[in-house]
Amino acid sequence: MPVPRRVVYCWVLVLSGVIAVQYDAATQGPKGGPRYQVDPWWPRPFTNQSWVLGSVTGVTVDAQNHIWVVHRGGDSLEANEKGMMLTPPSATLCCQAAPSVLEFDQKGVLVSNWGGPGQGYAWPQSPGSLAVDAKGNVWITAAGLETPPATPARGRGDAVVGEAPAATGRGRGGPPPGPGDAHVLKFSRDGKFLLQIGTPGKIDGPDSQTTLNRPSAVAFDTAANEVFIADTGNRRIVVVDADKGMYKRHWFAYGEKAAGAAPPAYAPNDPPAKSFRDVTCIDIARDGQVYVCDRSSNRIQVFRKDGTFVKETVVSKNTLGATVTGQFGVVSSHGSAWDLAFSNDAEQRYVFVANGHDKKVHILQRDTLAPVATFGSGGRYPGQFLAVGSIAVDGQGNVYAGEHHHGKRVQKFVSK
Amino acid sequence: MKRNLLIGGSFVALLVTLAVAQSAVQRVAAAQAQNGVMAPRFEVDPTFPKPLPNGWYQGQTIGLWVDAQDHVWIVHRPDVLDAAEGASSQTPPTGECCSVAPPILEFDQTGNLLRHWGGSDGPGYQWPDSNHGLNIDSRGNIWIGGNGAMDGHVLKFTLDGKFVMQVGKKGVTRDSLAQDHFFQVAKTFFHGPSNEVFVADGYGNRRVAVIDAESGQMKRFWGAYGKPPDDKAALAQGPYDPTVTYQQFRGPVHCADVSNDGLVYVCDRTSNRLQIFKTDGTFVKEVYIARDSRADGAVWDTAFSRDPQQKYLYVADGRNQKVRIFDRQSMEELTNFGKGGHYPGEWYSLHNIATDSKGNLYTVETYQGRRLQRFLYKGIAPVRAKQQGVPWPSGK
Repeated sequence: MPVPRRVVYCWVLVLSGVIAVQYDAATQGPKGGPRYQVDPWWPRPFTNQSWVLGSVTGVTVDAQNHIWVVHRGGDSLEANEKGMMLTPPSATLCCQAAPSVLEFDQKGVLVSNWGGPGQGYAWPQSPGSLAVDAKGNVWITAAGLETPPATPARGRGDAVVGEAPAATGRGRGGPPPGPGDAHVLKFSRDGKFLLQIGTPGKIDGPDSQTTLNRPSAVAFDTAANEVFIADTGNRRIVVVDADKGMYKRHWFAYGEKAAGAAPPAYAPNDPPAKSFRDVTCIDIARDGQVYVCDRSSNRIQVFRKDGTFVKETVVSKNTLGATVTGQFGVVSSHGSAWDLAFSNDAEQRYVFVANGHDKKVHILQRDTLAPVATFGSGGRYPGQFLAVGSIAVDGQGNVYAGEHHHGKRVQKFVSK
Repeated sequence: MKRNLLIGGSFVALLVTLAVAQSAVQRVAAAQAQNGVMAPRFEVDPTFPKPLPNGWYQGQTIGLWVDAQDHVWIVHRPDVLDAAEGASSQTPPTGECCSVAPPILEFDQTGNLLRHWGGSDGPGYQWPDSNHGLNIDSRGNIWIGGNGAMDGHVLKFTLDGKFVMQVGKKGVTRDSLAQDHFFQVAKTFFHGPSNEVFVADGYGNRRVAVIDAESGQMKRFWGAYGKPPDDKAALAQGPYDPTVTYQQFRGPVHCADVSNDGLVYVCDRTSNRLQIFKTDGTFVKEVYIARDSRADGAVWDTAFSRDPQQKYLYVADGRNQKVRIFDRQSMEELTNFGKGGHYPGEWYSLHNIATDSKGNLYTVETYQGRRLQRFLYKGIAPVRAKQQGVPWPSGK
C-alpha cells in the first residue's frame, strides 16, 4: 500500500537528498539496484506474552509513519498455537490471537489494537488488506476465505505419527459462520465503525453498482475524495465516493467497460488473459497512475484514474501455484504479484512487488517496469519469507512485508 | 562569594537528590528481583544461523546436538514441505522456491552450513520413515532415531555420514519388553562413563532402554517409576486428566538425558512430568511442569547448564513455548523465557534444546516453526521476572 500523499510530501522535503544518495550508492551493488536487509529487531515482542499473529493479510503506513497490520486472528491459528483458546485450554501461557488490527510505531512498539465484530457491521471472515486515508481513517476489505480446489495437493506436515496436533474444541479450522465476504469497512483510527460498502453475502455480479465480491484492497485519490477498490471476485476495479461509498465508475482488465469471461487457470505460454484472474492490490502513484496486481496472472496492469489502460508487465512468467488444505482451511498460493508498494523518493522510482509463491520481493523500475533487484528467500528465518502477500513503504524508505498462511509475521527491511 | 556558595549548595543538593534517586532505583530493582534468586540469563541472537544455500528449505526440526567443536547439528524432516512451500520441487515445478535440504545439517559458530547428508537407505541400514532425535557421542559418532509408523531402530554414523551400526529394525510394532528393537524412538543420549546409549523409547513404546554403545546390545530397560513397562496398561490410561497420577508413561517418552552425577531425566511429555532415575533405573523422584497442559504436553526435552556441577536444568515446554530454568538440586523452577510466535526468541513449537561449551543455548522447532535459534549466555544474573518473555538484548 502507498504512503498517504500528505506524509510522502513531508518526508520527501526532508529526505529526498539522502534517499537519492542511498539509492545511487546502492545501485553499485551486485544486482544493480537498491538493496535491502532485514531488521530482525522490529517489531518489539508483544508485551502480552500470550499473543501471537495469525496469517497477515495487510500492512500499511499512515501519516504519522506508524505501521498498521491486519491479520486473520484465531481462525488462522492451528490448535497448537492457540492452546489458550481451546475448550478445555491445552495451555495456560501460550497462546491466543492478538487483536485483528495492530498499530506499531517506528520502534516496533504496539501502540494501539482493536478489531473484531461490532455493532452495525460484519467483521470479515478473512480480511484482505488495509489502508489509512489522509484523514487517518482505516479501511479494511473483506476478502473472503479461499475456496478448496477440486484436487487438493497435500503435504505431510499435518500427518506425522504421534505428533498430529490435537484437534479439539474450536481448534479445528473451517470457515466462521455468517454470510460470505463482499464488503469494505471504514473505521476511525481508534476503531470506531464509520462506513460499510457492499453487503456480506450479497453478490450481484460484475456490473453491480451497489455490491462487491470479496474485495482485496483499496486506494485513495484524496483530491477527488474517491476510493478505488480492487473488487477481486468481480474481476474489476470500482471507484466510489470516500464519504458515502456511492458508486462512481468501474472497469475491467485492459480498461474494458464490459465484463469478460473468467479466464482459465494461468499457463505461461497462453496469450495474456483478457480478464483479471484475481485482482489483489491497487495503489495510486503520485503521478496519478493506478497500479493493479493480477495475482495469479503474474502481472501488473497500469491505468489512469479514469480507467484508461496504460501498460502491463509480467512479474514472473513461469510461476504457477499450489493449493493446500491445512488445519485452518485452504491455503491458496498462486502467482507472483500479490501486492505492491512504491519507493518513497519524490519520483517513486521503484515498485516493490510481493511475490508470495516464490517467497521474495521484486524491485521494478517504475517508469519502465523493468526488474532491477529482488530480496528475500524462502524460509522461516529473519529476512526470509513463506507467503509474502502484503507490502508497504514508510516515510524513511523502509519496507514492511507481511506473510500470509503459515508465515504470520510482518518484517522490516532497511536500505543498505 | 555568597552566590558561589548558593550554587555550590544547590549542586550538593542536586547530588544528594541524585544519589537518593539512584538508591531508590536500586531498591526497586532489588525488589523486582525475585528475592535474590539468581539464574542463567540469555539473549536471543537472530543472526544465527545464516539462511541455507541452494534454495534449501528446512522442514520440521526434531533433533539437535552440539559437538565437541561447538558445531551445531540438527536433524529435520525435509519431506514435510507442502506443495506451496516446496514449489520448485514439484513435478513440474510451480515456482522458483524451495527445494528440500538433506536431513542432517551441521553449522559452525558463525552459522554457516558445513556438512549435510542423509535421507536414504544404504548397505546394512534403513533410513527412518520419520526422523527424530540426534545425539553425538564422545567418539564423534552421530546417533539418530525415528518415529515413523514402521520405525523400530536407531542408527549410528560417523560425522561424515558413514554408516556404523543399526540397532533394531523397521517394520515392527509396539512391544515395550522387546530386547532387539524399539518402537518410534524420540531421542538417544550417549553416556560416556558407562559407554551406554540411553534411548527414549518413545512414541510407540513406553520405556527407557539402555544399550551398549559399541555392540548395540540391550542392557536394561524400565517404565514409569522404574517398574517394568506394561503396554496394555499404558494404552488403557485414557485421555489425560491432570488429577491422575499415571503409573505408566503416557508418552511419548521424549528424552532420557543423563547428568554428570548419574541421574537420568526422562520426559514423559503428555503427562507433563519429568521422572528422574539412577542410571540403573531406580526411581528417584518426579516433577510436574504445567500439569494442566493437554494436547501434546509440556515436557519435551532437557539440557544441562555447562558448569561442572550442571547446577541448572533447562526444560523445553513446547506447549506453552517456554524454556524453563530449574535449579537441578531442588528442581524448583527459577524463571522461564520465550513466547509463542515466529519472530526471534519466539517458538511455534519448541521441540529440543542443547547447550554449547560457552553455555549458549540452542533450540529447534517442529510443526510450522522449523527453525534453529541461538540464545547467547550472559552469565548468572538476578531473576527479575518469573516469566521473562522474549529475551531481548538490552538496548535493542
